[in-house]
Amino acid sequence: MKRLLALLLLVIPTLASAASLQPLAGTDVPALLQPPAHGERIIALWSLDCAYCESNLEALATLQRAHPKSIELITVTTDDITAQRPVIEARLRKMKMATYPARAYAEASPERINFLLDPNWGGETPRVLVIRADGSRTGISGALTPAQLQKIR
Amino acid sequence: MRHLLAILLCLLSPLALAHDMGQMAKAPELGASAAFDSHGRLWVVDAVDGHVRLRHSDDDGHSLSAPILVNAQAERIYAEGENRPKLAFGPHDEIYVSWSQPRAKPWTGFVRFARSLDGGAHFSTPITVHHDRAEITHRFDALAVDGKGRIVIAWIDKRDLLAAEAAKKPYLGAAVYYSWSDDGGVTFVPERKLVDQSCECCRIALATTPQGDVAAFFRSIYGDNIRDHAYAVLTTQGQAATATRATFSDWHIAGCPHHGPGLAIGADGTRHAVWYEAKTQPTIWYGQLDPGRPPHHRLAIATAGASHADVAVHGHDVWVVWNQVSAAGYSLMLRHSTDNGTHFGPARDIAQSTVAVGSPQLLQKNGHVFAAWNTADGFRLIATESTP
Repeated sequence: MKRLLALLLLVIPTLASAASLQPLAGTDVPALLQPPAHGERIIALWSLDCAYCESNLEALATLQRAHPKSIELITVTTDDITAQRPVIEARLRKMKMATYPARAYAEASPERINFLLDPNWGGETPRVLVIRADGSRTGISGALTPAQLQKIR
Repeated sequence: MRHLLAILLCLLSPLALAHDMGQMAKAPELGASAAFDSHGRLWVVDAVDGHVRLRHSDDDGHSLSAPILVNAQAERIYAEGENRPKLAFGPHDEIYVSWSQPRAKPWTGFVRFARSLDGGAHFSTPITVHHDRAEITHRFDALAVDGKGRIVIAWIDKRDLLAAEAAKKPYLGAAVYYSWSDDGGVTFVPERKLVDQSCECCRIALATTPQGDVAAFFRSIYGDNIRDHAYAVLTTQGQAATATRATFSDWHIAGCPHHGPGLAIGADGTRHAVWYEAKTQPTIWYGQLDPGRPPHHRLAIATAGASHADVAVHGHDVWVVWNQVSAAGYSLMLRHSTDNGTHFGPARDIAQSTVAVGSPQLLQKNGHVFAAWNTADGFRLIATESTP
């Protein structure tokens, strides 16, 4: 038993880093939008085709590291996980974002999940959705300016 | 100990499941194009397993033929979002196909072209359209045939962005380049730059003018990331083409809208256009372009949940289609004008899908208008007239 446990403990971190990308289906959206118990949940939406997204993710990661106890950062790519999983995972590693919880859309076209996440969002990326413990939400499209970053928390 | 083991096993199973999902067989991506040839036969191209696949239909899309592979040798093909293989016909129903091929690095691609002179029985070996061979963005190809039978291809190109970066000069977005073939697609002339600093992730719309020229309508960049649209005639002789600002929504976004416009030019020269912006809320607009000035007869066609519109004109009839999403799925919406775009009737829901859909495309056959709609359940052709 002890040996099995030791083996599992060895295996789990490998699996977690190699396959941490999780699908985001329409039915998963309500849970993702639930207000956090405290602080802010930042949903950083990006896409493979978006050259502005990498620097935005970096800026949000820096902000999260400055407030590790209050900010929960989750990356979500609008690209289809079924068609693009290896490419998405490679890009997350290249952007040094693989340590954050990561989701990718589980649909072949993004519009429905875009709409469920935020009906006032037309799918432009980068997009940041900030959900606060008090239930309030803010959506910001485009590369974040320093002023916008400061306002997140 | 047993408890701990059980917890660990519980933790493991979703990870293992997620890993398995990546091994599932790939469905075709939704980027497809359709067109009627001069005999009323419908042709459809999409991409499957590294091949552009051509199918045809003699019953307005109810049944599709067995596929013909355009590129015999498999290669990577962009076929999602704003990318889709393109299809156009020459004056004698020559079949021209173009697509964008991803290269190894992110955001790179080559524009590819192949043709068939025997009704799709055989295709030429694909060629790369641009003479520049740098491993950079040459993608989001758009294809049209002009009044003299020239094949015109425009695309988004990042060579000038990279040159500016190397020189440490500011540069927003990417350039638009174009080329054409005078010999039916055997060769393409060295590409010309249309404009610097335009949007790097939105499809380019092409349409033919009454004079037979090919015109482009695309999302450009003005000032500090104001992503309005420009109009240009893609000249193939004499003076260089010039792009002129044609929409004035003033939507500022330092990002990728993933949302290119649509264009249809009437026999009277009216430039019917549809475009998207989200300055205050996501909106699809219709307007008649008057390059250099705001469009005429501007109308908000649809708002939240609306995307990827196309426009068509025949005489004084103008049609606009778009995807309208809700929590339940997608509706294909239509608005129709009978007075050359001065007024439009109410939106009509002409088809529904509970699964993912591609961008709709309006097609005409003898004055009848159809919407081509590729869905995860298969390709559909929807008549705009027979629906309630």
